[in-house]
Amino acid sequence: MSTAHVSLFTFISRQAVLAAAPMILAGTGELLAETAGVINIGIEGVMLLGCISAYLAAATTGSGALGLLAAIAAGLIAGSLFALVTVIGRADQIVAGAAMNLLAVGVSGSAWMLFQNARANANLPTSLPLGAGFAAFSPAWADHLPYFGPVLLHQYGLFYAAVLLAILAAIALRYTRAGVILRALGDSPEACEAAGVGVKRWRFGVLLLAGACAGAAGAYLSIMRTHTFASDMTGGQGFVVLALVIFGRWRVWGLVAGCLLFGAVNSLQQSLQTLRYTQHSAIMHALATLPFELFQMLPYVVALVALAILSRSAPGPRFLGIPWQK
Amino acid sequence: MTQPPSTPPPVNLGDSSPLLPDGFAMGDASSSASSEAEQPIRRPPRAWFTAIIPILASVLALTLVVGGLSLLGYPAWGLVRRWVHGAVGNHIQIAASLASACPLLLTGLAVGVAFKSGVLNIGAQGQYLLGAVASVAIATRFAPPLPPPVIVLLSIVAGITAGALWAGVAWALERYRSVPIVLSTILLNFVAAYLATTLLHGVLQAKGTSAPQSAELGPGLWLPVLIKYTNLHVGVPIAFGLAVIAWFVLRRTTFGFEMLVTGANPQAAALAGMAIGRRRAQVMLISGAFAGLAGAFQVLGVAHFMTSSFGNYGYAGIAVALLGWLDPLGIAAAALFFGALDTGAQIVEESSLGLPHNMADVVKAIVILVTLLLAGWAARHRLKQRQGD
Repeated sequence: MSTAHVSLFTFISRQAVLAAAPMILAGTGELLAETAGVINIGIEGVMLLGCISAYLAAATTGSGALGLLAAIAAGLIAGSLFALVTVIGRADQIVAGAAMNLLAVGVSGSAWMLFQNARANANLPTSLPLGAGFAAFSPAWADHLPYFGPVLLHQYGLFYAAVLLAILAAIALRYTRAGVILRALGDSPEACEAAGVGVKRWRFGVLLLAGACAGAAGAYLSIMRTHTFASDMTGGQGFVVLALVIFGRWRVWGLVAGCLLFGAVNSLQQSLQTLRYTQHSAIMHALATLPFELFQMLPYVVALVALAILSRSAPGPRFLGIPWQK
Repeated sequence: MTQPPSTPPPVNLGDSSPLLPDGFAMGDASSSASSEAEQPIRRPPRAWFTAIIPILASVLALTLVVGGLSLLGYPAWGLVRRWVHGAVGNHIQIAASLASACPLLLTGLAVGVAFKSGVLNIGAQGQYLLGAVASVAIATRFAPPLPPPVIVLLSIVAGITAGALWAGVAWALERYRSVPIVLSTILLNFVAAYLATTLLHGVLQAKGTSAPQSAELGPGLWLPVLIKYTNLHVGVPIAFGLAVIAWFVLRRTTFGFEMLVTGANPQAAALAGMAIGRRRAQVMLISGAFAGLAGAFQVLGVAHFMTSSFGNYGYAGIAVALLGWLDPLGIAAAALFFGALDTGAQIVEESSLGLPHNMADVVKAIVILVTLLLAGWAARHRLKQRQGD
């Protein structure tokens, strides 16, 4: 889609949805895990592992689909490792999550350097071969729809998967047996055990799902949106997701709204950074004197302010973060 | 300051596994969960026991990483030899290992003291960065017309203060707006990083550069080194001294006892008349001060200037605190180990093997995960044994 013929508002909206998609995906997984009483602050690391796995698989095989599968597999492996330590081993979840982040930084950094060295020795480029990444949809008929066409119909496939997942999760949490069990796991695990629901088995399962979601979100960043890899490409999004789950009070709609809001603030600040030099008005002149890091800081400040306003009225799952033992 | 209870309440002092104090989880069921389960009073594990698990985990992690790399075709023995030589091969390398242990030790203490008291300060990274910024600001830009040693002292004090104040923001958000410290500190880390870059691009930027970096400190403002041609600065022994003091305060004073009890069992602490709220505030300030000091020492003792990428010691401190079993002396040992791992890995990266230094992070992460697993397993084993008596 060319951006020349859409209005600024449409452009910012589309960028917001682009930025929100991986956070909705990873956030829904995290929300389900937290509903079941397990908090994984290593979600940032799992996303990073997804980024590198997708990139390496797509770059070596030339297939974007294999890249996505590799990212999901990496997410599943990371999720099962985290579940092994926290659910089976009953270790502290915050600490284990911090270790997962460290592991991801180490593994992705090492793998990236080894890959670059191997490619350089073989005289091969490290860039993604043509067609190995995903392209966004751009159906011509969508442009005729005002606003919603360019904003919602020019997105990557994984965005639609994320929306579908969020809708399914919202319905499931509310109306299905599995949803009731998930909520009970976080609020009253002993009741689950008494009702014959294996707490550990369910928590293990939901952590696998959350891992797969975060892994796929990583693939979105590396082989869909950018077609590159950088060691800091998750840039704290996994941590922001953690805040947004609380911001949304553990409800899927709240989370999705939070992700869109964060994406909007982020794309707004990026647009402002360029606009303040090209547009000539008093406000833009004033903005142009500000350093751009202040703009980059904005989404995190907004998240903090939102938490400060909303947190008081947000009781989470009662047993969030507490290992279950019979 | 409240009086210590005449007979200490029967609480878990938080030394035993699962590694962290009970009053620690995020959900509001944390205290009721432990009382409902009618857990027997846990005794602190024996010293050899706390030492052997991290050592076992370290050996296992190193074996895994070296084994994995040798499967990829790298010579296992050559790798180990270079790594060990790089870490402790001669007095220059030992000094380098000690120097890189210093910031790890201080951020480890920051995290350890907070975790031990049940305060989930994940924000050592932000507190460390702002400590470094404040320190470099005093040393390069706003130095008062005073003799250099006084400026160095002022610079250190500024670093400590900045770290403590940034931690205080997280405390205030929890106290007045009920924002969990674990979340606010995570977000504040990012705000701090951008704030640091803003200042390094702006008022602190060196002349004649467009990069976000400060001017270099005049040699008069460098912390003196203990061994020539190394960066083993006087901050290193000071940091280890602080670890000993922290150990003493935690183990031998009323203040330390109250911190431990607040972390181990907030209900019992409240019943015993301890001012939990005030303890949490103090713990947060002390924690931030340690992290800020790490930043100041890194500026004054090692780098002698500051850039926007100034290390991840705050995050690494979480790992160090954990491996050290949240005990100040254990944290010192863990910092030494991690510092040596990093220094050795740097040499391996520069050697003909050309392996990434990030492999040290992999080793650290596996050490933590294995420690968590072994500690949990051992605690359950001991519990079963005692119940069998």
